[in-house]
Amino acid sequence: MMENAWLIPIFPLVAFLVLLLVGGRLRERGAYIGIIFTLASFMLSLLTLMERFSAPTYKKTLEWLTLGGTQLTAGFEINQLNALMLVIVSLVSLLVQIYSLGYMKGEGRFSTFYAYLGFFTFAMLGLVMAPNLVQLYFFWELVGVGSFLLIGFYFYKQEAKAAAKKAFIMTRIGDVGLLIGIILLFWETGSFEYGEIFQAVQSGVISDGSLTLIAILIFVGAVGKSGQFPLHTWLPDAMEGPTPVSALIHAATMVAAGVYLVATMFPLFLASEAAMQAVAITGGFTAIFAASIASVQKDVKRVLAYSTISQLGFMMLALGTAGYVAGVFHLMTHAFFKALLFLAAGSVIHAIHTQDIERMGGLWARLKWTGPLFLVGTLAISGFPLLSGFFSKDEILMAAWTNGNYFLFILAVITSFLTAFYMFRLFFMIFAGESRRQAKQVKESPAIMLLPMLVLGVLAVISGYIQTPWFGTFLGEWLVEGNETVLGAAHSEGPAWVMILAVSVALAGILLAYMKYARTKLPREGLVKENSTLYRVLENKYYMDEIYYFTIVQMIKGISLFLSYMERFIIGGLISTVTGSIEGMGKIGSKLQSGQVQQYGMIAFLGLAVLLVIFALTGGYLR
Amino acid sequence: MDLNTMLSYNWGAMMPEFIILGTTMALSILDLFWPVHFNRRKLAWFALTGIILACLSLISLFSFETVSILSDTFRLDSFAKAFKLLLLIGAGLIILLAHSYEPKEGLREHRGEFYYLFLTALLGAMIMTSSGDLITLFVGLELLSLSSYILVGIRKRDRSANEASMKYVINGGISTAITLFGMSYLYGVTGSVNLGEMSRTMAAMTDGQLQYIMGLAFFMVFVGLSFKIAAAPFHMWAPDVYEGAPTPVAAFLSVISKMAGFVILLRIFLSLFLTAPGDAFGALDFLEKNNIYIASMAGLTIIIGNVVALRQQNLKRLFAYSSIAHAGYLLVAVATLGGGYFLLDTIWYYLLAYVLMNIGVFAVIQLLSSQSGSEDISVLAGLGRKSPYLALAFTIYILSLAGIPGTTGFIGKLNIFLGTFITEPGHFVLAGIMIAGTVVSYVYYFGLLVQIFFRPIHSDKVVKIRSGVSVVLIICAIGTVLFGLFPNIAFDFLHDQFGDFTDFISSE
Repeated sequence: MMENAWLIPIFPLVAFLVLLLVGGRLRERGAYIGIIFTLASFMLSLLTLMERFSAPTYKKTLEWLTLGGTQLTAGFEINQLNALMLVIVSLVSLLVQIYSLGYMKGEGRFSTFYAYLGFFTFAMLGLVMAPNLVQLYFFWELVGVGSFLLIGFYFYKQEAKAAAKKAFIMTRIGDVGLLIGIILLFWETGSFEYGEIFQAVQSGVISDGSLTLIAILIFVGAVGKSGQFPLHTWLPDAMEGPTPVSALIHAATMVAAGVYLVATMFPLFLASEAAMQAVAITGGFTAIFAASIASVQKDVKRVLAYSTISQLGFMMLALGTAGYVAGVFHLMTHAFFKALLFLAAGSVIHAIHTQDIERMGGLWARLKWTGPLFLVGTLAISGFPLLSGFFSKDEILMAAWTNGNYFLFILAVITSFLTAFYMFRLFFMIFAGESRRQAKQVKESPAIMLLPMLVLGVLAVISGYIQTPWFGTFLGEWLVEGNETVLGAAHSEGPAWVMILAVSVALAGILLAYMKYARTKLPREGLVKENSTLYRVLENKYYMDEIYYFTIVQMIKGISLFLSYMERFIIGGLISTVTGSIEGMGKIGSKLQSGQVQQYGMIAFLGLAVLLVIFALTGGYLR
Repeated sequence: MDLNTMLSYNWGAMMPEFIILGTTMALSILDLFWPVHFNRRKLAWFALTGIILACLSLISLFSFETVSILSDTFRLDSFAKAFKLLLLIGAGLIILLAHSYEPKEGLREHRGEFYYLFLTALLGAMIMTSSGDLITLFVGLELLSLSSYILVGIRKRDRSANEASMKYVINGGISTAITLFGMSYLYGVTGSVNLGEMSRTMAAMTDGQLQYIMGLAFFMVFVGLSFKIAAAPFHMWAPDVYEGAPTPVAAFLSVISKMAGFVILLRIFLSLFLTAPGDAFGALDFLEKNNIYIASMAGLTIIIGNVVALRQQNLKRLFAYSSIAHAGYLLVAVATLGGGYFLLDTIWYYLLAYVLMNIGVFAVIQLLSSQSGSEDISVLAGLGRKSPYLALAFTIYILSLAGIPGTTGFIGKLNIFLGTFITEPGHFVLAGIMIAGTVVSYVYYFGLLVQIFFRPIHSDKVVKIRSGVSVVLIICAIGTVLFGLFPNIAFDFLHDQFGDFTDFISSE
């Protein structure tokens, strides 16, 4: 199967081309073309993954371009990491496409939407299969184009247009870093092939300084694509795209590309202590930073967007603290539960036509399927015991602890708490309490939308069991097989209290959210009788509320306000300075272009004179 | 020179030029004697046939050893063959464009003139690629320039065309004067006009004073030729002239004429200044020592071209600035010598890419502007819905111009970019400027795509595409994608046919 794996990205590409050419005639039927081709792609990915469990890495390359003495190759490689990625990407894409059948019903440009989805999937699948950096960069840019098209799908909306542009430009800033990194790497090692680069890195031909520089430049690319601070601002705006697109972008494609890049180049990062630190600190900071913002957002999709940023920060933190397995593991579980959450959020939006959580509430009884599924996703992301997120987050905390980076460990613990808090805040505000609108006509979404959510829900529960401290560490062992020295241990062993701490902060977060947002709905006596300690807590609930309010919430609000101002003014200001000065230069340039031919002549003669004078002066000819 | 020597020359080497010359003369006679009511449009097919025949005969000459005839004034080396091929391909495509060109007031009786003036311009450019001494170089250059002055003003009753033509003549005059002045210094220093001889004299020149004169000559020739390639700050004529010129002529100026400018630049630089010593000790060659000047001009050109393009609303002006920026990228390759020995590959490939994408763009501009009578970028609005195939082709050219992977433009730019790193010491600042310029260029290139795909339809009139233009569109689109995905086709062809251009560099 592995030798046919090149077909995996070809299927969605074919779907894209077919839809592009005849999509207009097919209309809604075009969707089935997209789904069938993506299904083929998924089946093939699954078979490839199955085979990869027993077979060694497969690599096939063809000579593509000769530049002077250097040969560039094109081809594909199936190793553990990308075999796993292929399945995740094609599965999530498939589910999103099925879901869109219901969600996008009535949309006039149905086939265009599926064409773009096909293109986006193709680009991401191609990216993970790339055996060298040139090909990776190639697909990296195509992913950017795909996201541009999809985010700007509602191009008649001003915000969508701006968001598409922002996503494209912000990620391009990161891409420049990546490109320079790739070129420097080529300069140092004379190759774009992963294998040869890692060999050169390990043999120590590159000086430590330039190694760090290269690793950080490559990381800048990942920062852009994966929405890490300070290049994260495009991600929340990208919510202007249709909700299924958000699910795809946030779970399997685009943002996963950055984490994948760091994971793929892991041996390079490992060789530079400073680069690892940079990755870990950026990740840790982004995690807590985004989590704090998520706690005050009022738009359901924005909360989820910041939550994605925060979770990606977690993955970077894991990779930066040498937790290769932890990072990849969390990438996988996150893909499932975040896709689930987005699709469930889409289902809520589909039902009540608003994204403002303050105008929601009391939907638990009405959305009989969406509610529980959303709860599963929320529990998984909060790290509730025995769900997938619990295991992967635990792995990350262990990695940070065993790496000895206690500060980052504490950051991660606080973020876990915040994650549980804001996710349940979201959950309770949507589903608990009074119905804040006359919601007689609120209807559950059709089965075609519920089915993909159900699949993801099951995965969000069980996918953690392939790597647990209790039932074996299958995933880790398989991922590092043959590379134990570089990629590290299959599982980070740590003290048992880490897990207990993780669970208790998650529960504390849930509890806090519960008290703040769902409390009023519950019968008070029921709880009071059971536990007298809880009684006191409940007795002082206003008091507690105020403490929370004036300390943690206010502080967090303050921080998030400060950070969002920083984002708006300092970072935004820098960007507008750059664009402003370029525009200014353009103005001057076109002023000079007056249409007066004598002026043109004068400028030309001045140019010549300046050249000659400089030449005479620097050459020392005018002594 | 007696008859026998004349006859002993291997005239076959000039076959492509003779064919073009013959076609030109036949066309002018036909035009003169054909009754007025005959449609001169048909002459385009005649001209095209001439170009195709010239191209075929050129291909048959590929296997020829390097020939030099007429006392080494005309050389057919691999350099000449490679660039002549590009010139002929570009000219063929533009003739097809010109065939369907129909300005509002019509070309009337001047249509016939158009074709043979076009061919004489082409002939000038072809002679430039092959010339072995300054005189033939200059004659070729002037043949090209004078023909193009008239071509720009061929819409005789159009005021803007007249203005453009006038500006072009004046600027061209300045450029010629400076070039010629520089050449006269070169002659004064070496006492010869033959490039081979001159290079031998200059290689032995270690006197500091003479080297200074050489420097003056270098700068004047460089500046004079910079007009032709439209490099800043000698680019100012370009937007005005492109705007006033008929669209096929603007395409001609931005592709063929620019290419010819680079050809002559390379001929002179590589044969004269590459071997000349840069200082009294002869440690550095002249070009290496002074490439900072070329590099700064390249940087300036990239910045000005891209930044000013941001503010353009007229399509032709916009692409004038875009073509200025591309001249800047090409100058980067010249400044870094393409990272050593593959300079000519890099430039040839980039010019190939440029021929395809730029002619494609001008074909679309011609279609839209002649349909709507406007050259504002708003004529593109809604093209994606109105004629999706045309929009697709245009998108391919734009992506290639912007240097997006998968297109020829990307590979071309990548080669140039890598060149800046491979040379010692690396030109990192220049590489940075190139990247920054490319990023800025996305703004205006993608602005055009926004017009096409995200704006309501400009006018409901269906875009009629004549068969000639559609051939151009298809060739350019396919070429852009094909050579972008499989660049080795072009590079292998280049290496198989011309080796590493050794006969060009070593024989002097």
